[in-house]
Amino acid sequence: MRKLWSTFNLPTKISVAWVSIVMFFVVTGSFLPLPNPTEFDPDASGVGLFSSGHLLGTDINGYDLLSNVVNGARISILIALISVGVGGLIGSAIGIASAYVRGKLDIAVNLLFNILLSIPNLVLGLALVAILATSADPAIPIDPNRRVFIIIFSLTVIIIPILGRIARGATLSWVNREFIVAARSMGMNDRHIIFKHIVPNVLPAIYAVIFLAIGVVIVAEGALSLLGVGIIDGVSWGAMIGRVAGDFTYAPQSMYVPVVVLALTVIAFNQVGDHLRSQLDSREGKI
Amino acid sequence: MLKRIIPLLLVIFGSTLILSLLLQLLPVGLKDLYIAPGDEASVKEQLKSLGLDGNAFTFYFHWLNDFIRGNFGYIIFPGGGREPVSNRLATALPISIRLVIYVQIVSLLVSVPLGIYTAYRAGRRSDRVISYSLFAAASVPNFVFGLLLAIFIGVKLGWLPPLGYVDPSENFVEHIKTMILPVLSLSIPTIATYSRLLRSDVIATLREDYVTMAASKGLSNRRILFTHVLRPSSTTLFTSAALNMGALIGGTLVIEQIFSIPGLGSEIGIAIFSRQFFALQSYVAIIAVGYVLFNGIIYVLLGFVDPRTRERRNA
Repeated sequence: MRKLWSTFNLPTKISVAWVSIVMFFVVTGSFLPLPNPTEFDPDASGVGLFSSGHLLGTDINGYDLLSNVVNGARISILIALISVGVGGLIGSAIGIASAYVRGKLDIAVNLLFNILLSIPNLVLGLALVAILATSADPAIPIDPNRRVFIIIFSLTVIIIPILGRIARGATLSWVNREFIVAARSMGMNDRHIIFKHIVPNVLPAIYAVIFLAIGVVIVAEGALSLLGVGIIDGVSWGAMIGRVAGDFTYAPQSMYVPVVVLALTVIAFNQVGDHLRSQLDSREGKI
Repeated sequence: MLKRIIPLLLVIFGSTLILSLLLQLLPVGLKDLYIAPGDEASVKEQLKSLGLDGNAFTFYFHWLNDFIRGNFGYIIFPGGGREPVSNRLATALPISIRLVIYVQIVSLLVSVPLGIYTAYRAGRRSDRVISYSLFAAASVPNFVFGLLLAIFIGVKLGWLPPLGYVDPSENFVEHIKTMILPVLSLSIPTIATYSRLLRSDVIATLREDYVTMAASKGLSNRRILFTHVLRPSSTTLFTSAALNMGALIGGTLVIEQIFSIPGLGSEIGIAIFSRQFFALQSYVAIIAVGYVLFNGIIYVLLGFVDPRTRERRNA
């Protein structure tokens, strides 16, 4: 760990710091001494940055923006972590298994990944959410919790082929090396070879991409809100952006505060992922 | 050649099939949504014309059969009135395609000199500053640029219209004015991605022996960079420009919503809100098919840009 920290350059350190702050908000958000994100302040609607009592101002309805951003981190980041975690697990399992077994299974899996990747990921997510979150009766919107679940599910589907393909490619590059052949000739069974020799070698490639994938999901959550199918009730960065998307001339801070926070978070996650990947490349280069 | 085409067709077949099966997951039945009440004969007639008289697979093949013939289904109004989706596409699709083409042109025009410059200056201060800014810009989602540009340039400064679209046949100057902000917001992340790729490829090419040879012959740096280095270095750039098409189409949907451009993205939004799932299916299918075909074409074209890839493929 200490060794890893010493490889960080300045932008990476700043990114790690920012990610840590965001994660701190995710954990402690509701305990911090901030106004309730779902209660508006009738005396301060649309006040600008650095107003008294509202550090980042309020939106047109008087909702405190700092409190919304801090509490919104929880849902936005949790959606990202869950979909990348579950999608990554399923994707890597499929990718590693198919690359290890090869043959017809591998051809089928590769085709499936190609099919899922042939629909641009935002379009696929949009179609999934639009279809699954349709309520039977147009007058009654679907339950907000169910909506969050559908969004997580759809984003997971997007992540599976992205990480699955990485895992498959990495496994293919390891599966024919001498030590695997040696292990097999020594009579080691497949399960042992996969978990003892393949997974530990494939994992670094996946770690690096996971950070990039988290960025993809955070962006997708925001974009879905702008397209009108994201989280509507509730507190998330996407919801904040979606709520004011049509009307931000009166209180522009209600638009640029969540947008800037979202952008900084995505940059930070990407920077960390990119750094891990370059570390990985130099490690591969030494082999 | 056949070896390339068959997987392509399989992917198109698979993605449209998945989309079609997705409609079966709707919490409401398609029959309940689109069949106007009537006597038995008229209901039967409606079911047949929409392909709903069989199971999920017969529905797909009915849709596919129509799709190949250029019939993209209907927008069905309450009461049973119909409008062909192709009517909407005829106006919406050219707008979106125009937007994507503008973005690709602007991005390539800016990123080629930028990528070459940063590669030529690799490691110097100017390269480091530009490269870090490019990295950050590449990570920022395009709707962030869209919203910020709309607020600051469109609303606060009032230099350009923050929303709306004017067709070039009506007023070309206004058309360009309305397109600047959307194109800019889609281009900034794209430019950043492209120049970073070109930079690393140019750096690799600059180490080749023939570049040293050209330099020792006394050719000017500009001549070496643009005539000897650019072409072999641009393979990755073109491949990723093609792959980036997917992200760009997704981005176009959002940007069209922000700037109220009546393209495919807006039509998809309308289709979702008015529960026109046949239309939604065809819109998404058109995007998927277009994207796959486009990538196939680029793959062939790459052989002309860089003959080395062609040889490697045949080997």
